[in-house]
Amino acid sequence: MDRPDTADAADPLAALRSIARDPRSYVQRWREEHPDRKVLGVLPMNFPRELAHAAGVLPVIVPDDQQPVTEGRAFLPEFYCGFTRNLADQAATGRFDLYDGLFVADHCIQLLGATDIVRELEPRAPVFLGQLISSLSDRGAGAKIAEMVATLRAEVEAFAGTEVTDAALAASIRAFNRDRSLIRRLFDARAAGDCAFGPVELQDIVASAQVMDPDEHHALLSAVVAGRAPRTRDDRIRVHLSGHLCHAPRRELLEVIEEAGAVVVDDDLWTGRRYLQTDLDESLPPMTAVAEWYAGRNVALPCPTRVQHDVDWDQWLLAAAERSGAEAVVHLMPKFCEPHMLYYPELRRALEAAGIPQLLIETEHEGIPLESFRTRLEALIERSHRNRPAYA
Amino acid sequence: MTATMPPLATPDRTNRLAATRHGNRMVAQYWDDLFTARERGQQIVWYNGGALNPIFQAAGLAWCHGEAFAARLAAQQLEGPAQLAGAEYGYNAELCSYSRTHLGCAVLTVQGDEGAQTGVVGAHDQAELAARLPAPDFFVNNYAGCSTGQQWDEISYRVFDKEVPIFNISHPFLWGNKADAGYLQGEEWESASRYVRDQLVDLIAWLEERSGNKFDWDLLRESMTYIKRAAELRREGLELCKAKPAPATFWDWISAIAPINFLPGNQELVDYFASVRDEIQHRIDHGITGIENERYRLYFDGIMNWNKLGFLSRKFAEHGVAVMAGRYITNAFWQEPQLIDTDDPLLGMAQHYLLCPTNHGTRTLDYLTLRDCEEYDVDGIVFHSTRTCRAFTGPQRLLARSAQNNLGIPSIFFEGDVADASFYKEEILESRLAAMLEAIDVKRAQAS
Repeated sequence: MDRPDTADAADPLAALRSIARDPRSYVQRWREEHPDRKVLGVLPMNFPRELAHAAGVLPVIVPDDQQPVTEGRAFLPEFYCGFTRNLADQAATGRFDLYDGLFVADHCIQLLGATDIVRELEPRAPVFLGQLISSLSDRGAGAKIAEMVATLRAEVEAFAGTEVTDAALAASIRAFNRDRSLIRRLFDARAAGDCAFGPVELQDIVASAQVMDPDEHHALLSAVVAGRAPRTRDDRIRVHLSGHLCHAPRRELLEVIEEAGAVVVDDDLWTGRRYLQTDLDESLPPMTAVAEWYAGRNVALPCPTRVQHDVDWDQWLLAAAERSGAEAVVHLMPKFCEPHMLYYPELRRALEAAGIPQLLIETEHEGIPLESFRTRLEALIERSHRNRPAYA
Repeated sequence: MTATMPPLATPDRTNRLAATRHGNRMVAQYWDDLFTARERGQQIVWYNGGALNPIFQAAGLAWCHGEAFAARLAAQQLEGPAQLAGAEYGYNAELCSYSRTHLGCAVLTVQGDEGAQTGVVGAHDQAELAARLPAPDFFVNNYAGCSTGQQWDEISYRVFDKEVPIFNISHPFLWGNKADAGYLQGEEWESASRYVRDQLVDLIAWLEERSGNKFDWDLLRESMTYIKRAAELRREGLELCKAKPAPATFWDWISAIAPINFLPGNQELVDYFASVRDEIQHRIDHGITGIENERYRLYFDGIMNWNKLGFLSRKFAEHGVAVMAGRYITNAFWQEPQLIDTDDPLLGMAQHYLLCPTNHGTRTLDYLTLRDCEEYDVDGIVFHSTRTCRAFTGPQRLLARSAQNNLGIPSIFFEGDVADASFYKEEILESRLAAMLEAIDVKRAQAS
């Protein structure tokens, strides 16, 4: 990776892109600059990184590193999702040495399967599951969340070997909020009609935020934003991208969507709006803010891995499409992702009732049939054109 | 969707327990009673996960265990219409086939000609489904281990347009974070037990309020007394099966799952498990074996392949293999009856729900698997790589590695599924099984 002090000034977006696509180099540089501090891998999608940041730790949301699964095949079956098989492969081939520990807050049986592989193959690194309750309609959910957040704080303190003070936690909350808020501005602008940033650029911006120190990311992103003028979207078919939990879709897939004649106007992807939709309330005591952030995330952007009877991803999706003017929805479903598989028919039913054309694309870790996707996307765009007034 | 070639005829060298036939009749009677529950004015609860039936029994409700119904359909080769309905609704074929089948039933119920008004699963499909499953008045989720279970019931709730009340019980995954953590021990175990127990108290209040039925605590204690005794008898029978040659096998115990999993706690249940144990003892006393000419003893890890139950039992017996034990029977279904205090049963019940064999980190599963392999003195392990069950399959590769490294026990994997026979690969099982048995022969020859 280029040294940021030279590369950043010249092209801050290139610096973010570089980190998004090569997080290992960023983490190695961070280690060199902070030799007495630790790097904590955390698994998506709900671990409150602020707790670890407040302890002086670099909390990295472990990304799918897009390497082919080799040794990892011996540890998880082929019908686990690509992300978890990639995690197993990272552990099996020594690539998990990037992290000093691994913390998990989500109960997904496939994530836990991969976590167990890490625990077995990386005995040097503490692996901690602090399970945040996933059924948010339970009567005692609030108390249970608060209890687990306190446990996570204590475990982070033990990992870092330092206390997490309320003041440090409040500062970390401000730092992450500031960074998320700036990214969200770009997403909101896109939904409102600005296409200054393409989907790959925005994905790089979010993916780098999931790895980097928030202040450093914010500084680079501020420079990016300052150097980019708004640009009004053209009349291509406006598409909302939905799904793809836990890891990023392949960049070439995002590219082909726009090549096929669409413009992406909004999303609820993990490496998109799902990551940045919810801030922590800085007016609350910091531990309360962390707990309420978790409880509120599913309301701000519903997730099929959570259970909350009065919160509906399908209704959120319809409202989002209305806000952005999306004319079609592309569901990006990582193969074997059971929460998404379970919820997809509800999304399909709601979109059908609303008359919004949609297309389901299943993605895999290794290789995607791009030309086949292109044909299907072109058909979707053609269908969507027929919905426009000129064709009515 | 199930669509497989008819199995080749294989010689039947099994000697199945006669007692389990009575269990099958008890189970058939239970389903018949459930299908007519609405006519008798009973309210019906659909539930998943741990065995909440004693609570429903004491709450005056009829109960339908979702996985059990899906398993029953698959075992009778009748899962097709439900899975087709699910597929048409949008459920992917790679989704847990228990949930896919059960959600297909829910879709059929909602779409049925007579639908929820009569509580009959899609009338036009009744003959094929061989089921007249009444629509639910309540959903209760009691899923430990697999995250899909909780989401599955939430989706059922949505398929019924949120018109059926739902109650969820959350279960901490027993990860084993702390130094004091272990099977049935440590603060993680104790705190999780109390947490789930408290939710059972909430569930009982919720059921009372929603159903209008007063909860019968005496009936709960009584039924749990019967279930505890039945579970003790079951464990005694399992213990007897360690004998050489084995008097009964894993497949007999698979046949005995339904009674312990969801039949009412009563004297008949106790008598049934007493008859199973007594038959096993009788076999030991008279030199009667579970299969002809036992040559190998294997452990079976994985959830059951319900479409292939009879076929698999014959296949292993054909090779002289007595399948001795397995995670699905040895470490599930009221398997630790000493935890149940019949005067105050909720804590022990909560603990059994937590003891679902998919609710442990691999460290605990490793302990249980190695323990059972040693106690049953097995020569190898067969892993059912259950295509749509990520919960059972996740730890299997690590367990295989550990068995090889710690006990010198080889293992094979074969592909199948809980309720979708299209994932079953017979030739792979045959060739891998034959290869492992040959390797065991070589090892024995070298040792002699």
